[in-house]
Amino acid sequence: MSFIEVLSSSQILFAALLTGAIYAIVAVGLNMVYGTMRLLNVAHGDIVMIGAYAAYWLFTQLGIPPVASMFVVAIFCALIGAALYKLLLKKMLARPGDVPHLEARSLLLFFGLSLLIQNLVVSLQTATPRAYQYMDHVYRISNLAMTGNRLLALLVAFFLCLAIAAFLRWNIFGLALRAVIERTDAARIVGVDVERVHLISLVIGFGAAGVAGVLLSMMEQFSPFMGFSLTIAAFIVVILGGLGNIAGGFAAAMILGAIETYGVALTSPNMRSILIYGVFVLALILLPKGLFHKRFKK
Amino acid sequence: MKTQSFFIKAALACSVLIGLNSPAFAQEPPVRIGYSMSDTGPFAMASQEQINVYNMWKDEVNARGGLDVAGKKRPVEFVEYDNQSKPDQSVRIYEKLITNDKVDLLLAPWGTPFQISLAPVLEKYKFPVVGNTAASVAVRQMHAHYIWFPTSAVPDKMAVALTEMMKKNNVKTAAVISNILPFTKEIKNYLDPQLKKAGITVKYETEYPPSIKDMTSIVTQVKNAKPDAVLVLSYPSDSILFEKQASEIGISSPFQFVAVGPSTAAFRQAVGKAANGTVTLGHWSPDRPEWKGAKAFYDDYVARYKYEPDYLNAPLAYMSLQILEQAVAKVGLDKEKLRQTISTDTFDTIDGKVKFEGVENVITPTAFLQIQNGKLQIVWPESIATSQFQPKTHP
Amino acid sequence: MKNPASGDKILWAILAVFFLALPFMKQDYFTGIGLSFLMWLALTQSWSILSKMTGYISLGHVVFYGLGSYIVVVTWQQVPLWLAIAASGLASAVFAALVGLPVLRVRGPYFVILTFGLAELVKYVLLAVEASLGISSRLLFATPDITEIYWIMLGLAAASTLLLEAVHRSRFGHGLRSLRENEEAAETLGVPIARYKLVAYVLSAIIPGMVGGVMALRSTYFEASQAFDAMISINIIVMAVIGGGDNARGPLIGVAFLVALSELFWAEAPQFYMIILGLLMIMFVVKLPDGLLGVLESRKKKLGGRAL
Repeated sequence: MSFIEVLSSSQILFAALLTGAIYAIVAVGLNMVYGTMRLLNVAHGDIVMIGAYAAYWLFTQLGIPPVASMFVVAIFCALIGAALYKLLLKKMLARPGDVPHLEARSLLLFFGLSLLIQNLVVSLQTATPRAYQYMDHVYRISNLAMTGNRLLALLVAFFLCLAIAAFLRWNIFGLALRAVIERTDAARIVGVDVERVHLISLVIGFGAAGVAGVLLSMMEQFSPFMGFSLTIAAFIVVILGGLGNIAGGFAAAMILGAIETYGVALTSPNMRSILIYGVFVLALILLPKGLFHKRFKK
Repeated sequence: MKTQSFFIKAALACSVLIGLNSPAFAQEPPVRIGYSMSDTGPFAMASQEQINVYNMWKDEVNARGGLDVAGKKRPVEFVEYDNQSKPDQSVRIYEKLITNDKVDLLLAPWGTPFQISLAPVLEKYKFPVVGNTAASVAVRQMHAHYIWFPTSAVPDKMAVALTEMMKKNNVKTAAVISNILPFTKEIKNYLDPQLKKAGITVKYETEYPPSIKDMTSIVTQVKNAKPDAVLVLSYPSDSILFEKQASEIGISSPFQFVAVGPSTAAFRQAVGKAANGTVTLGHWSPDRPEWKGAKAFYDDYVARYKYEPDYLNAPLAYMSLQILEQAVAKVGLDKEKLRQTISTDTFDTIDGKVKFEGVENVITPTAFLQIQNGKLQIVWPESIATSQFQPKTHP
Repeated sequence: MKNPASGDKILWAILAVFFLALPFMKQDYFTGIGLSFLMWLALTQSWSILSKMTGYISLGHVVFYGLGSYIVVVTWQQVPLWLAIAASGLASAVFAALVGLPVLRVRGPYFVILTFGLAELVKYVLLAVEASLGISSRLLFATPDITEIYWIMLGLAAASTLLLEAVHRSRFGHGLRSLRENEEAAETLGVPIARYKLVAYVLSAIIPGMVGGVMALRSTYFEASQAFDAMISINIIVMAVIGGGDNARGPLIGVAFLVALSELFWAEAPQFYMIILGLLMIMFVVKLPDGLLGVLESRKKKLGGRAL
């Protein structure tokens, strides 16, 4: 397909928007968690996976359609976030210790958690990829063909992004969040309940990730190992968009979705992983301390 | 004490009674047969049929009194480990089976990369294995002596037959998309020169990795190329992904070939009506009267598992077991004698006769199936066809 | 009080005798387990040269292993084996030297995920290269038998032990430890941190490259996704974390622990093994950051105190 054809294809545009929107809601959680707690949750993608399996289970066992179960799953994943905070993270954060080592070691902790979660799901559900059929009817607008579930996913993802952005903009929590991301100690002095901010970040972040999982499960096959590549994509988004910068994150997600979709369409699907990891490696090398270090100090 | 001695006597009496009444094979030591399988991982879905067949066969054999080992019947026991869909894990397992578990016989794991990676190990330990669900020209070129493949779906022959079939159906242009996994990659490599020779223009082609999640851009480009034939060289998950997204977007080519997947019941269930008209690999049918046991195999499988067997992998797995069974009945468990017999004899299977020259089966022809009204039919070649090819119509 | 140094020497002597004797028992299966142990020891000790000494945790060390494997596989039966293995070590070192400078500018957790991303990137590039060559997997026939492979690995494990200890006791090692504690301070004190980091990185790459090459002979089958399997990197880290310490002894404990665990579970319940791995990782990071070696050493201190 020629360059012009690819650029003007509404089908590819749709795919790019959808990919970007999904990345946006997956990344927003990572952004808030890392921004407030400086903990690199490499198990974030596995929360998405849990969301996918939860939707699958609810749909195939109890007949609850994803459009309804996404609320339940969001709450379920949010509770996981709260539990994680109360049981593990609160203690780790209370211990001072020098920052780079704490961060590197916490990464290992989350890695262990990731292994644990993935393999628990495998032992429960086997590693075989799963799928289910839902809203398969194809809607057509001239050249563009969309299955119902993809259209729904796009709408939900966009709506969720807007909702989160609005919440952060107009709710006092949004202000508190920005304060904690910028300077935790100063925020504390000014009277911000930092622990509450941490908790709510995890809750919103994990909830959004769960919803992403539900959306993905409607559209594609999923397996216990689907989390990895989503975590990597989320990191790219966070680094490119600026840590703690939620709006920047949304923009970066759309850009990444575009790079991936158009890049693949112009070259070949073989290139998808090379593109993603290539961007990832370059972003980390060119912005060695992440964008945030230039603006914010700890 | 009285109660104690009563129980002891009773137990002894019972065991004597049981011993007298049980069939003769309880006295014979079991034949231990080892193998590794992708119980988990990306290939677990594809391996399921083979697992089903292996288990069904074991129960059938034991119900008949056991495996005939050169005249003596002995019960069959499996020693199986999960290779997690990793070929190097599979190799380790087979080494363990040979050197540590010291099994009497080995069965093949599922899939091309697994059976290929096994070849050097079998050569090293001189242990013969009848392969099944794999085919690669590569092994033929490497002179492996301890593994054989009854399948006729070998990439180079497949490319020739597929091209012939397309020519017969007036195909002038094609789109070819292929998974980079070994088997499908090989088909692509042999297909390219065949298409060129037949004068079929390839208007669009691309490759993709097995982890692909979204094929919309590929499918769009295939549609825009408007080819007479769409050749999708894929594995089960991408096969399903393709069919679903293709029906989303609507591809009107009359000849649509999807390599691996459509021969399973799971595929037809996942894709629904859009599967009708799809051509795929396969050389077996329960409906050919001259193939002894074919219908019985089909019926037994459905009765046991409540869904149709995969027309490609299930019969192949069963054939390999039949070949092994016949060889062991003839020469017992000696490895060299087994190797001799398997390499030279002609065997009767549910897919007709099988004979090996080198690693390949030279009797079964390379064939294709088509899904018609939800059922699989052999549509090529004429000699074993159960129905005629029908162009695919867009629902 | 026992001289700790002589206790060490006895330990290494015993190990040496054990591993030298193992192949002579003619039990291929157990030789295989010994081979596994030696392999992980060599990998983990080499990894420690970088990650334990400098604090830069590499989560992508498999990249060197994979590159080494590839070199041996593509030159199979075309160059003498010793040359191929040497080449795999060299290639890894060169790769490390090339990417080291930009990669080592990145700090803390970013470095960790960068190494991971780098390994994946190389994996996918290699997959694409192989695909363009029309190859999806490579087989090696007529490879040396397990005992020969074992001897080579024993040599590599001995080399990694000596290398790690040498670095540990040298001035260079001292410099590495200082930059681990506080990089900026070390720099102001005159430690050439960029150069030191790079040297550590390159040193940590050589032996894993050769190990990868040797293991290609063992598995007789090469496919990029397996040779660059992230689980190899993860296993190394878990072994190092469990073992603790930044000398050659720590990895011994960690490797022994995990090889034993793996031996119990790898065939029958591989999922269970991974779950335990995850739990161990969590537990050791949270509760036992100095690893089992740390536990042993604190016990020794307590006993030493009482004796006094």
